Amino acid sequence: MNFSPQNDLDRNAATIDAERSLRLIASLPAPVGIEDRVKDGLRGVPVQTGVIGWPLSPPNRVGWAKVSYMRAAAAAAIVFVVAGGGWGVCKHFGAAPGPAADSVPQRIDGGGGLSAAGAKRTPKTVEGPSVAIPKTVRQETGAGGVSTQKRAHGASRQDRKNRPLAPSPAPVVR
Amino acid sequence: MEIVESPVHEEARRRAQEEALEALVDQYATTLYRVAFSVLRNQSDAEDAVQEAFLRVLRHRETLGEIRDHRVWLIRIVWNIVLDRKRRAKTRPETDDITEVARVLPANGLSAEQRAAAAQHHAHVLACVEKLPAREREVMMLSAFEELSSVEIAAVLEVTESSVRSRLFRARNLLADLLSHPRSIR
Repeated sequence: MNFSPQNDLDRNAATIDAERSLRLIASLPAPVGIEDRVKDGLRGVPVQTGVIGWPLSPPNRVGWAKVSYMRAAAAAAIVFVVAGGGWGVCKHFGAAPGPAADSVPQRIDGGGGLSAAGAKRTPKTVEGPSVAIPKTVRQETGAGGVSTQKRAHGASRQDRKNRPLAPSPAPVVR
Repeated sequence: MEIVESPVHEEARRRAQEEALEALVDQYATTLYRVAFSVLRNQSDAEDAVQEAFLRVLRHRETLGEIRDHRVWLIRIVWNIVLDRKRRAKTRPETDDITEVARVLPANGLSAEQRAAAAQHHAHVLACVEKLPAREREVMMLSAFEELSSVEIAAVLEVTESSVRSRLFRARNLLADLLSHPRSIR
């Protein structure tokens, strides 16, 4: 873009000219008689002063009091109908019966607010009497360094080798 | 003490409201019409908008006493109406603007050709204004009304006065660009 002083002057002149056009259009005269036409249009419109217009117009102070009483009576009638309807419904259906039994399951003491996720609590067992280990086994375990179980396992294998074959059980004939 | 609203008082109040409304019509109908015409660019549409504005005033005539500046208040009402109508209506072609502006331009001793050329020029300017962003355009159009100060324009648009000034500055720059590059608006 070229920002020469001549260009700036042209831009300013164009803007001023445009604003002059806008001012001319803004100052164009209104059509003759617009006020009368607007007034005529306003006269023909029915104006509603309140949200709900009361159909009876109060002619004098007594009439105003009468209208006031009628309003109170109408309000009382509405209240009566609503309250009566509510009472009728309650009488017809009755109060809702309470639960026959306490359906809330008994809470397991899980500690904290978390659920047990189906886990069963296992009670601590009471410690019973200690079983005395035979002396021979204790000695083997302590001196040899090989566990008694291993020894026993090895012995059993040797015994099985030396043992005579046992007769196989006879097949069951049905 | 109980204030009794007698029919005489009611009638007097109604009469006073009607007179106040008629005074407003007498005083501001032409101003509102010009505001409406500058946006709608159609005589009958502008007159309808003025009528609608005063109908709204009639509906809220109970609040007339609370209004501080009736002129700005009325201009704001008609401004909202015309913007709403403009939004709903299709964009007017430039040829319609030329015809309408040529019809309402004062003669002032101009020949028919001169009037036609002037109308064409004004319509071209209006077409450029239409290309401006809405905020800038609104300020530009309202600033054309010499009777409206920047404070009053701010009140009509419900913005601050500094916003009005900055928008007007941007609008002038954009308009200058549009006028210097006529192809950009086609």
